[in-house]
Parts: sequence; structure tokens; C-alpha cells
Amino acid sequence: MLDALIASLFLLLQWKALSLMLVGMALGFVVGLLPGIGGAATLALMLPFIFAMTPVEAFAFLLGMHSVAATTGDITSILFGVPGEGLSAATVVDGHPMAKRGEAGRALGAALMSSLVGALIGAAVLALSIPLVRPLVLTFGSPELFMVTVIGIACIASLSGSGTRAQIKGFAMGLLGLLLATIGQERQSGTLRFDFGMIYLWEGLDLIPVLVGIFAIPEIIDLAVRRSAIAGSRPAAELGADVWEGVKDTFRHFWLVVRCSAVGVLVGILPGAGGGVAQWMAYAHAVQSAKDAKDREGFGHGDVRGVLGPGSANNSKEGGDLIPTIAFGVPGSGAMAILLGAFLIMGLHPGPDMLTKHLAVTYSMVWTLVLANVITVLLCFAFLKHLAKVTRVPGNIILPFIILLVFIGSYTANRQIADLLVTLGFGAIGYLMVRYGWPRAPLVLGFVLGKLAETYLFISVARYGFSWLAQPLVLFLIALALTVIAYPYIQERRRAD
Amino acid sequence: MRISGRALFALFVAGVAGYAIFAARAWPVKAALFPMVMAIPLVVLALVALVVELRAAPVEATPVAGRVGITFAWMGAFVLLVLLIGFPLTVPVWVFAHLVFDGAVGWLRAALLAGAGWALFHGLFERLLRFPFEAGLVQTWLGY
Repeated sequence: MLDALIASLFLLLQWKALSLMLVGMALGFVVGLLPGIGGAATLALMLPFIFAMTPVEAFAFLLGMHSVAATTGDITSILFGVPGEGLSAATVVDGHPMAKRGEAGRALGAALMSSLVGALIGAAVLALSIPLVRPLVLTFGSPELFMVTVIGIACIASLSGSGTRAQIKGFAMGLLGLLLATIGQERQSGTLRFDFGMIYLWEGLDLIPVLVGIFAIPEIIDLAVRRSAIAGSRPAAELGADVWEGVKDTFRHFWLVVRCSAVGVLVGILPGAGGGVAQWMAYAHAVQSAKDAKDREGFGHGDVRGVLGPGSANNSKEGGDLIPTIAFGVPGSGAMAILLGAFLIMGLHPGPDMLTKHLAVTYSMVWTLVLANVITVLLCFAFLKHLAKVTRVPGNIILPFIILLVFIGSYTANRQIADLLVTLGFGAIGYLMVRYGWPRAPLVLGFVLGKLAETYLFISVARYGFSWLAQPLVLFLIALALTVIAYPYIQERRRAD
Repeated sequence: MRISGRALFALFVAGVAGYAIFAARAWPVKAALFPMVMAIPLVVLALVALVVELRAAPVEATPVAGRVGITFAWMGAFVLLVLLIGFPLTVPVWVFAHLVFDGAVGWLRAALLAGAGWALFHGLFERLLRFPFEAGLVQTWLGY
């Protein structure tokens, strides 16, 4: 095994594989900055180019691109409040308020360093766990997967803020998100729900226009109203000065980063859950990890832990995502389904062969995840001080370009003009939510999880009736979901005592 | 009694949930179950929030409505332009107009910035990624 690990590193370091990985990384860097064109779409666009490559070169190119897109997505989230990818929306919640406070450098440093730690943990788990993970994945049928989505939904309790009023609004928004996810054709009976006679709505609302509208447009309005730079009038020299502080934050809260990375890996391993879920669950865990209600107050207003949690989870997820894809040919996400296509183009069959005959290819993927993330983060650190200075560009100049970024991002997700209207509509709703104190994170979490929850619930009931509710693992997961809901209240009660 | 914006938003949420319940009544059980299970507690929570907001002390609103409206109008104009003339033309035209009329930037500087924005857009999306943008209605009418 060690021989294969070393041999695969040398395979990757050959000039052609390394050059292709660097080209992929450059593409991934740009794609990560743009909302809409996600890692999955770019993988699909680049698939035709791999026919002439060897398997190691092809995966170096594709994975180099994919893993970097997850890292750089955090940059626009922090600087402009525009999620660079669907995966990086949770970073907006605390990262952008930090940028507005003049701490863009610190937020970027924390996001990149935690991303690197997350990616390394994900790669390590991938390297070590492929032979061991089979029982875990096979244990998770539709009832257990439904319960995982319920645990995700239970995180709403942590994302809503403290106090009864905030909890009522938080749960209402979570339910609204779940309800919005039901728009479109119902998969079991084929019934069209809330389509208002529009073909556009048959497929349901796409995540990107909704996310970008809810998070980015309120920030645009705020910038337009303030008529100043994003970071206000703070001196330019201060903005990038605390990058190192962000790096130190990662190690100050190292166990939080490790735990959130573990959340990312676990969600990545489970099929269908996707990176958006991993990020929000990690964010909720970061909020829950606060000592008490007072310690939790900073979340949503620029607490660095709110950047570290999602930052680490969205990169560790990549390693987790690859495990079922390589080991059983079960893709954990849309991007992995496309990567599965790359396996077939290369003449490889995911499964036992990847752990024996093609072990060197498997380990070259691990090394790609490691090297691509290390190189990206090192390069980013070289430019972070200059990147942070973008927040000093006068508002009247940067505003049209941010609006452009938002709408191009929304359009490129599906090439539908209607997506622009959805962005504008959800932008108005997002603005009103911010203005009237309704939390946005629960709505997004509900929306991300809604379709999955309904599908798994239907399959569970169709296959097992209601007897699945008595399965031991389901009971354990129910208890876990109840604990997740009760934990903020227990914390508050303890503090009151 | 004057209803605050906060209360109106709660009412809006309750209205959305109420409509969901009303619409779901006509669907088969399989399709209606999940939306119903979400919408019924949502109505209750939104109405509780409405009562809470009606009882709460009024929050002084900051006078920003005009600027908010103008920004939304600019964004609406962007969408309308995309529909009419497509993305590639909208990008330089709209950025230039926004910089000059909303941002009070000089004509020459605005033209340079809009040109740079277009070059970036064209180079990245049309040349590098070869992303296909649909033509606008005007081009379609003109037969391009």
C-alpha cells in the first residue's frame, strides 16, 4: 500500500500530469469565483478533453479543477457577499460581515487555511478508509438517509438565533424552504405542484438563482444605500494586514475545524446529500459549539468560527465524496456522477479493481486533492493582501460589476432568462428578510434538503411501511436529531442556572 | 392601526403557506402530503410571528426606500435589457449607463471601465469557456 502511495505521487509529479493539474487548477480558480458555473458544470464542459490523456493525467486535470473551485468560491462570498458556488453560501453569513468590518484579510486567511486543513483531512480519510467504508455505506438505506436529512433540518434550531421570537421565525423560514423545494413535478405521482402553468417551474426552482438572490442582493442594496466602499472608510493598509490572524484562528479553533471537516467527510460519503448540506451542517455545528447564548451572539455578524466551519467542510467533503464513487461506483453528488463518466471514458470500472489493479490511479487522486489544495492556498496567500483591497474600491464603481457577477452567475447555471427574474424576486424577499429580522440560513437549509427528504421519505414508506421507524440505526438518528434540536435550549437553560 | 412592515412580512409568509394548503387539496395524497405537512405548521408559526410583531414596539425605519427602489429598478433594467438585446450587448451598455447615471462617474472613465468589463466577459465566457448566450428579442426580430 505504501509502495502504491509513493509510486502514485511520482506518477502525478511527471511533467505532463503536473502541467494538466495546474491547467485544471487555473480553470477551477476562475470557475470558483463565478457564481452559477459550479464545479460540476465545469467538469461536464471539460470531459471531452480527457480522451487523449492517461487516467492519472485525466484525474489530475479534472480533480485539480474541481477541488480548487470549492476553495476559491469562498473568496467572492467573503469579499462581495456573492456565493462563488452553491457550496460556499454559508461562508457569506459571517465572512462578508467581517469584510464590511475591515477584516477581509482575516476572513480570507481563515477560509483558505481551514479549507486546506479540511482538504487534507478529506484526502487522508479517502486514503485510509476505502477498504473500511463499504459496511457504512451499505448500512445506510433510504430510512437512514431520510433521518440524515432530518438531522440537517434539525440544525435550523441552531441557525435561527436565540430567543423564542428568533426560533419561531427560524423554524418558519425552514418550513418555507422545505415548501419551496416542493415546487415542480412530484417524482412519484408526476403531479405538477405550484407550477402556475409555467414550464420553467416543472423542474422546480434551481438552487443558484435562489441562493444568489437571497444572499447577494441584500448586500448589493446595502452597498448602494451606504454609497461607500464595502469596507467603509478603513485605511487600505489595514485590510490585508490580518491574513496571518485568520491562519492563527484556524489553529486556535483547530478541533472545531477537525470536527467540521469530519461533518464534511461524512456528508460526502452519503449519496445525494451534496456539498451545500455539508456546509450548512458544519456551520450549524460551529454555532452549536459556542459556549453559551452570549458566545453565540456573534454568529451572523462576523464571527470567524462561522467562516472556519463551512470552509473546512466544503473541502473535506471532496475526499468523502470520492469514497463511494471509487469504491462502489455510487456517486455522492452531481459532480461525482460526471466524474464517474470520466472513469468509463478511461476504461476503468469503479469497485474492487480500483483497490487492487488500479490502486496507483486511486492514490493519484488522493495526491491531486492534497497538491492542488496546497498549491492554491499558497498562491492565494501571496495575493490575499491585494484581494482584500478590493473592499476599498468605491461603491459607485464596484456596484455595477457585482450586479453583473450576480446575474451572469444566475444565468449560467441553466441558461434561462427566467432565472434572472427568480434572482430578482428572491433578492427582494432576502432584502425584506434582512430588514425585518427573519433569518436566511434556515430557509436555504430547508430548500437544499427538501427534495432529498421527500424522496427518501417516500422510498422508505413504499418499501417498509412505517416499520423502518423501529430500525435501531433510525432510532439512534432520531435521538441525534432531537439532541440537535434540544442542544441550544439546554445550553440556554444551563446558562440561566 | 398602522401595520408595520415586519407584521406585513409575517402576513405574507402566512399567505404563502395558506395558498400552499389550498392548492394541495386538489392533488393526490402522494403529491399533497409533504407540502401539507410543511405548510400547516408554517401557517401557525407565521400567524404567531404576526401576533408577536403586532404586539412589539414599533421599530423606527431608516429612510432608505428611495435608494432601495432605484437599485432594484437598475437591476430590473438589466434583466429587461438582457431580454431585449442579449447578454453580450447588455454588459457594456448597462455598466456604462450605471456608472454614468447612478455612480456619477465621468463619461471617459465609465467608457473605459465598461470596455474592461466587456473584455473580461467576452474573453472568459465567450472565448475561453465558449458559453452560449441566447440572442435578445431584438436580434431575433432582425433575423440575426
